[in-house]
Amino acid sequence: MIPHAPILAVFLPLLAAFVLPLVSLLERRYKIPLAKEWVSAIFVIAEVMVVFSVFPDAKSSVVAYQLGGWAPPLGIVLAIDALSALAALIIVTVGALVFIYSFIYMRRESGVEHYYALLFLLLGGCVGVVFTGDIFNFYVFFEIMSIASYALVAFRRHLWGIEAAIKYLIVGSLGTSFILLGIVFLYGRFGTLTMANIMELMGQVAARDLVIPLTCFLVGIGIKVAMVPFHFWLPDAYQGAPSPVSAFFSGATATVGVYAIARIVYVLFGAASVGSLLVVLGLITMVVGALMALVQRDLKRLLAYSGISQMGYVLVGLGLGTALGIQGALFHIFNNAVYKTLLFMLVGAVIWRVGTSRMDELGGLWKNMPITAFMFLLGSLAIAGIPPLNGFASKWMIYLAGIEYGGWGYVVTAIALIVSALTLAYFLKALSSVFLGQRPSHLANVKEPPAAMLLPAMVLAVLCVVFGVLPQLGVDLVEPAQRAISDLNGYIVGVMGG
Amino acid sequence: MADSVVFGPGFWGPIIATASMLLIAGAGYLLILASRRISPRRPTSEKLTTYACGEDVSPSQTRPDAEFFFSPIRRVFRPFYRYIGAKHTGELSLYVWWVLIGALVLVVLTAHGLGVL
Amino acid sequence: MSINYAVAMMLVGLGLYCLVVKRNLIKLVIGLSVITDGIHLLLISIGYRSGGIPPIVTSAYMDNLEGFAARAVDPVPQALVLTSIVISVCVLALALSLAIYAYRHYGTLDVRKLRRLRE
Repeated sequence: MIPHAPILAVFLPLLAAFVLPLVSLLERRYKIPLAKEWVSAIFVIAEVMVVFSVFPDAKSSVVAYQLGGWAPPLGIVLAIDALSALAALIIVTVGALVFIYSFIYMRRESGVEHYYALLFLLLGGCVGVVFTGDIFNFYVFFEIMSIASYALVAFRRHLWGIEAAIKYLIVGSLGTSFILLGIVFLYGRFGTLTMANIMELMGQVAARDLVIPLTCFLVGIGIKVAMVPFHFWLPDAYQGAPSPVSAFFSGATATVGVYAIARIVYVLFGAASVGSLLVVLGLITMVVGALMALVQRDLKRLLAYSGISQMGYVLVGLGLGTALGIQGALFHIFNNAVYKTLLFMLVGAVIWRVGTSRMDELGGLWKNMPITAFMFLLGSLAIAGIPPLNGFASKWMIYLAGIEYGGWGYVVTAIALIVSALTLAYFLKALSSVFLGQRPSHLANVKEPPAAMLLPAMVLAVLCVVFGVLPQLGVDLVEPAQRAISDLNGYIVGVMGG
Repeated sequence: MADSVVFGPGFWGPIIATASMLLIAGAGYLLILASRRISPRRPTSEKLTTYACGEDVSPSQTRPDAEFFFSPIRRVFRPFYRYIGAKHTGELSLYVWWVLIGALVLVVLTAHGLGVL
Repeated sequence: MSINYAVAMMLVGLGLYCLVVKRNLIKLVIGLSVITDGIHLLLISIGYRSGGIPPIVTSAYMDNLEGFAARAVDPVPQALVLTSIVISVCVLALALSLAIYAYRHYGTLDVRKLRRLRE
């Protein structure tokens, strides 16, 4: 581990967000070409290295980093267990690829330095949420992440972006208010903010005093992961945002939401008994997401609804609560980050070349952009769970978990299978209306996007195949995180000390 | 309960799943071939042209309606699209309403989950 | 003390009511900030102690730290509220700037008219 890596992982993106506007000033004054791109690249690479260096340490034990040397519960502590490390790994990988993609994609925009600064702020917020060990900083980083997201959705300041950002802001701020309310209730009850300390004291409190705080957290986080009654903002936001931002949301922000559910519900509250609630919500989420995706006309909106549907799988896996179910859920969120980011990047490539994502106006682009089309096919098959691609492996684990559960677990697996078929159906529709069929005459001269834009997508496409052919790699990746979720005592001892 | 899934050979493992999917795809293709024997394809240039209202339309000018791509599925799930799909109107106050209703439902469900109710 | 809690909860409830019923974007933003203020009031009331003293150790208390601890108010909620106020100001500023842009694009602040992202 690089010395002070935990705080560096949070601090570097925030520093980058501060530095980039200054760099852009220098760039303009001294006419240095691509200065802000290079500076962003350096910061992103440093961030990736820092997070990857934490990963091996956190895999076996909890890395507790005390800020200023003050021991918890008085001091602020960053606590990184295997679950945080896995989430951070996904976030920075997706983040780095999105940055590379943005260098080309955002080239035509003005004020790109603000875009990069906001993206760094978002990245820092995400990493902060997963690394923090106390519950108020959880809220603070959650808000940093949310505010950066609102601003990024509105970045282009066109009609759709503004409308989407307003809806996202009102609903999202309501959600974070709920989280703050939950934190206030917890502080009033326990008088401490360190998660491990709260977990120690959790046994002394009657279950009925935990209902309202837990609900507040569930609502707040549910808005972030777009569980079904709270999902309305998501299609708007994904459609209104620039494509790299949608890619980042679907890969990294969704991961943070799932991390928050696992951390708050399972670890902080130790409330494995609300699992069946998550299963029910997950089933509703996956069915509604899939059925809504079937009737969309806009490609990005279709992908957004399919993202809601995939979150349903993750919630079901988490809610089943068995070792297999949780592993399946964590593997699925990893896979979801891979192919969802891939698909949004490819849709972004189409939009970059053609200028629209409305499926009625597209068609027959396979001849023009064969590489993009092939990767889109790969991503669609992966998300629909066709073997030998990665989506199959994780969905398989969730199906098995449902069957292993017995009783109504069979129903869960049956519904999940049907939704999987629906997923294939709407991705066939997307594929056929964008890349197959008749090509409108005005699209005859569309070309493949530049290689630097396809490169990050290619990395993800390769990951899709690798984790599909060798699923054991993925299981080995998520297994420590699953053990961390069930080992509450290890977390308490790791943070508070023997 | 298994601690971890093993992706090895076994009854109904991934290998068998893949093989049976390929098998079924093959069987489907055979069915199509068989149907060709009963009613062979006889394409004529007249049948292959696209036309509307008595006029030929060049294929590059046609636009399919993406919303009705899967109209059979829409018919099967008609109640869903009538009652829930129609709720996705894009109205902000409706979003907030749903958040509040969801919160109330969650209170009850959480209380039940924690064994209070 | 309990009146503080009641008022805080009332503020949150009023804010929620405003969010649900009102149609004007500015009023929605006001509703949001009323909710946040209610939560802040709740948080600050949790740390309040009637007849308490500021949580700063002065020389007068150096020899009587236990007495100090028994009388001082809890400083943590105050720090939290300060942080939270900063955050809510950020959200407020962003929301109002978005409202300006919405007015430019749509010519109205009625959120019922802001629904071009339907499909």
